[in-house]
Parts: sequence; structure tokens; C-alpha cells
Amino acid sequence: MAKDSKNIIKPFIEDKGGLMPALHAIQNNLGYISKDNIIELAAAFNCSQAEIIDVITFYDDFRLAPIGKNIIKICQAEACQSQNCKQLLADLTSHFDLELDETSDDLNITLKEVFCLGNCAIGPSVMINDTVIGEATTDKIMSHLKSDDTNKS
Amino acid sequence: MNDKTKIFIPNETSANSVGANSLYQIIKNLIKNEEVEIIRNGSWGAFWLEPFIEIEKDGLRRGVSYRNTNLSHLNTLEEFFVDFAKRNPFDIKAIDFITKQNRIVFSRIGHEDPLNIDYYKSTKGYQSLISALKIGPQKTIDRIKESGLTGRGGAAFPTGIKMQTVCDQDSSVKYLACNADEGDGGTFSDRLIMESDPFALIEGMAIAAYAVGASKGYIYLRSEYPLAKDFLTQAIDIAVDNNYLGNNIQNSDFNFDIELRIGAGSYVCGEETAMMESIEGRRGLVRSKPPLPAINGLFNKPTLINNVVTLATIPALLLSDQSDFSQIGSNKSIGTMPFQLSGNVKHGGLIETRFDISLKEMVEGFGSGTKSGEPVHAIQIGGPLGIYLASSMLNTSLTIESLQELKGSVGHGGIIVFDNSVNMAEQAKFAMEFCVKESCGKCTPCRIGSVRGVEIIERLQRNKRSKEDANLLHDLCETLEATSLCAMGGMTPNPIHSIIEFFPNELIEK
Repeated sequence: MAKDSKNIIKPFIEDKGGLMPALHAIQNNLGYISKDNIIELAAAFNCSQAEIIDVITFYDDFRLAPIGKNIIKICQAEACQSQNCKQLLADLTSHFDLELDETSDDLNITLKEVFCLGNCAIGPSVMINDTVIGEATTDKIMSHLKSDDTNKS
Repeated sequence: MNDKTKIFIPNETSANSVGANSLYQIIKNLIKNEEVEIIRNGSWGAFWLEPFIEIEKDGLRRGVSYRNTNLSHLNTLEEFFVDFAKRNPFDIKAIDFITKQNRIVFSRIGHEDPLNIDYYKSTKGYQSLISALKIGPQKTIDRIKESGLTGRGGAAFPTGIKMQTVCDQDSSVKYLACNADEGDGGTFSDRLIMESDPFALIEGMAIAAYAVGASKGYIYLRSEYPLAKDFLTQAIDIAVDNNYLGNNIQNSDFNFDIELRIGAGSYVCGEETAMMESIEGRRGLVRSKPPLPAINGLFNKPTLINNVVTLATIPALLLSDQSDFSQIGSNKSIGTMPFQLSGNVKHGGLIETRFDISLKEMVEGFGSGTKSGEPVHAIQIGGPLGIYLASSMLNTSLTIESLQELKGSVGHGGIIVFDNSVNMAEQAKFAMEFCVKESCGKCTPCRIGSVRGVEIIERLQRNKRSKEDANLLHDLCETLEATSLCAMGGMTPNPIHSIIEFFPNELIEK
């Protein structure tokens, strides 16, 4: 059973500028920010729902719908460009048959682009959830996903 | 005496990205006795060697690169030692890449567990804070002013002057905000400090807060750095436990707390006013200046904003026997600069050195040329808003002044190498595309001009000789520069200008 969203929000209400940490906390616990969450956040932070949505939609990380269990972020910044990250992006979109920002039907994979993971000396770099992979290739990414699955099951 | 054999396996993003964590799991499982200890050290910043594993025995420490190596066939620790010895272990501190540097700010990275506070203290850690508490705020600021330190985040503003401004404000509440939203492509020096020497940042923040009269500090950390988040969270707790943060720090009347705030994937939030908006819980829209954040910043209070490396430099430069920091360099290019060499380069990594070394020394000396073996074609300096230099310009010195003359900047010190497969028209287009994606949307030229910029460059890619489009691009860039509130719009034209000027006929044919 997922944690109650009101309890998730509670520690941040009295914090100055607590909305950002509250949004992160909701998303970390519940996967995305739902309509109900927005209503609760607006009440908790004494502002309109529009203002909450305003903040959510500015930031790439926040999402209003469920997303893949594995978020694969492919770096497209300059250092990785010099290491053929565009080709890697093309390989991955074709391998998973997904566009950028698209999630697979089984909610397993979401592909996203990102600009710099700070791993610039050993690109191209890809981040799978919280793990950065250097000198990334489709094979490396697939074997990481596979070993992650084995570890969890 | 500790005669345990120590195995050092780095725990740092780049090392882990090429297998350090997996090797740690394997080696850990081989250890059956207590005579051997594994230490998860930071990285030395010589990333082509990662995962670089070292063994220290009888006072001798040697290491080996385990890149692309699978050790899962090993059954005993003895087998690992045999394997290790076969790979010609060497002393990383003696390689040219390290000895040619002048590591003052990054002097600790790689040596030990970054959360080992005893090691930090044994290397003069927290001495600067204690001496600052003795000499008082004004003398501390004076010393930073005299040092000539300028901000390492990108704008190179004199750090001491900014501190004085905040110090001079008559307000009972002041803030310190550490900008750890290191978003420039090709940069990782902030990350390396936070992961491999986090106490240096905490000490620097405590000194800066004491000097300006702030009792609360924020670190605004980008969400792309989860390992840095782990290290900072733990380091803050340890610092509190040891009374380097919290109330009555080291028996003084100085109170200071640090709160970690995580960004959410927005480049423009690295701009200081957008960062403040984000910390306050809003969209990262840029604010107009004045008022300066030093006068009216976070939550409408005077706020000192510095980036990670700037703050982490303060403890080192306050140590009296390291005052040679200020003796290095001239004009604005004083002290050392942590350059970050990356892209298509054989030996990429963290290079802390004086500013006045040539690009040639950087790319060929430290970097040993391209990884692909093909000739260098372009080098971008200073992140997405920095200029591209051609391979004929390798004699350029990396000082703030010399890059300013070329209408570029050192920025946050990122240096990205491209070989001759790069398409410079595509790089010019990317400058505009990046602005489309990351503009906060407040200023029209940045929000809409960048979209038009992409279109114009696409037309030029089809017809390099279009005078009309060349002129239009020129005018558009001028408008962006003149009418944007922040550097995002104001400096997006920089890479484009440099491509037009230094790479004739690659974007525009005259």
C-alpha cells in the first residue's frame, strides 16, 4: 500500500519554499503527481491548483501521468555529441521502438533525453533511474536492465 | 601501526559508470579475513583509468586500471592479488597527468573515503573555519578580497566584493545559497568536489556564512547528481555531529545550518535568480536585476550566492601556507582553475592548473589528443554558451582575459574536444535548439528568437550562401544579446559567432 499523500506532503508545508521538495516526495513515493495530489497540494500550500500545475509543468522531472519503471535518460549534450550520442539515441529509439518521452505499453521503459550527467570524459552517457552508464552502448544498457531484473527477483 | 592491507575502490559517478561498483561487490565477497580492508575512496579525476583500483601494503600504494575487466571468475582474494600484480601496478600520484597539475582545491580527491572526517582534519580540514572564527568576519572577507578569488561558476565576479556587499546589509536574516546546479555540458568539477571532498564545500559554506552573517544555507543540487546527494546528505550529518554545523559552532556564537534542495531538470535554474525562484518553490523564471541578490535575494533577504568550487576554494586559500594561491597568475586570472577536459579526448578528467596554460598543453599535453585518433577540429570552452575554437588556435591561453578577447569565456571551465567528424553547422544549430529547450520563457527574444534561430540555421544548412539568412542570423543574435535578462539568451549567440568567425564556410559561405 502506497503512503498516504497527505502524510507525504505534511513535513514540507511549514518549510520555506517547501513545494519543490513536496513534489519530489510525492513523485518518489507515488510515481507521478495525480489530480488529487494537486488538489491536496493547493490546499496545503494555500495557493490555487493552477499555481501548482504551473510549477509542475516547468520542470522536466515532474510528471502528471505514470511513467516507465525504468527511465532511460540519454545524454545529448556537447561532450556526448563528440562521442556519437545522436547515433546511440537513434539505436535506442529503434531498439525499444519508442520515441523520446514515450513509455512502453507495459510501463517498463521510458526514453528521455538529458543535457549533461557530469560524466563527460567517458561518454556517451546514459542514466537508468539513478545509475549512470559510461561509454554506453545498446548492449551495455540491455545487460544493465537484465541484471537489475535478476537482482530484484 | 595499522598493517592491514587496504584495497581502494572508488565510489564516484564516473568510476561507477564503468564498473567500480560491480568490482567492489565481487572483491568484497572474496574477503574472508580481517587483515584486508576495502576503502571506497573518491576518484583521482583521471577518468580514462577508471575504475582505478589501488592496493596499499606496507606503506606502498599502487594502482591498476580495471576498465572493461570482468573479475567474476575469481575465487579467492589471493587470485585477485595475483591478477592485480600482473597488471603492472603504478603510483597514480607520479603520472604526468597528476604531477603537472597544481591541485590546491582538489588536493584531497582520490586519497581516502570522502566521508572520513579524521582524514579531512588530518589534511588541515576545518582549520580555516576555526581561524576565521578567531579573526572575525571582516578580516575573513578582507583576506578573500586580497586573494583575488573570482567566482568559478561562470561569471568570474570577485568573490570578496560580493561577500562584502552581503555583509554590509543591515538585516537580521541573511542567506547563503550554494549553486550546485552544474548544468553546462562538459563540466563535472562541482560534482567531483561534492562526491570526493564534500567537507571542503561544507567548510567553505560555513566560513562564507560566518563572514556575511548568514545562519541558513541552501545547496541547490541538480537532480542528475544522485550520488552527490547521498554524499552531501551524509557529510552534512557528520559535520553536525562534530559541531562544524549547527549551533555554537566550535564553541563560538556562530550558528549555521545547511539544507539540501534538489532541482528538477532545468538548466536555467543554474542562473542565480532562477535558482532563487526554484528554491522558493516556483517556476524557474529569471528575475530582473537590480535588485542584486546580495541586497534583496532569497525570500527577499540579502543572499550570498556562490557556486560549489568557489566555496570549496575558500578553506584552501585561507590556509596561510597555501597563500601561494594568490601568487599564481595575474589580472583576473588569479589562483588555480579546475578545468574539465572531456569529449573526444584520450585522457579526460579534472585538471586543476594555473589559468595561463595554452589550449595545446591542455588538449595534447594533458589530453594526449583525440580518443578516435583523428585530428582535432574544434574545441568548445565554457559550456553551451561558450565559444568553439578551431584547431589552428591551440596557442590560445586559457586565461579569463585571453578568452574574453575572443568574445568567449572560461565559464565553469569545461573544455570539450571534437575530432574532424564534427559538423559545425549542426553545433551552431544545437546552440539555438538548447536555448529553445531550456529558455525559461520570460524574455521574448530568448523564447521565440531561439526557435527562429533554429529555422534560419536549417535554411543555411541547405544554402550556405544565402546573404539574407546570414544577415538575419546576425540581427537575431544581436537582439538576443541586447534584450535578454540573463546569460541564457544573452550568450546563446556566442558559440554561433565563433563558428561563423573561426570556421569559415562551415555555416556561412561568403
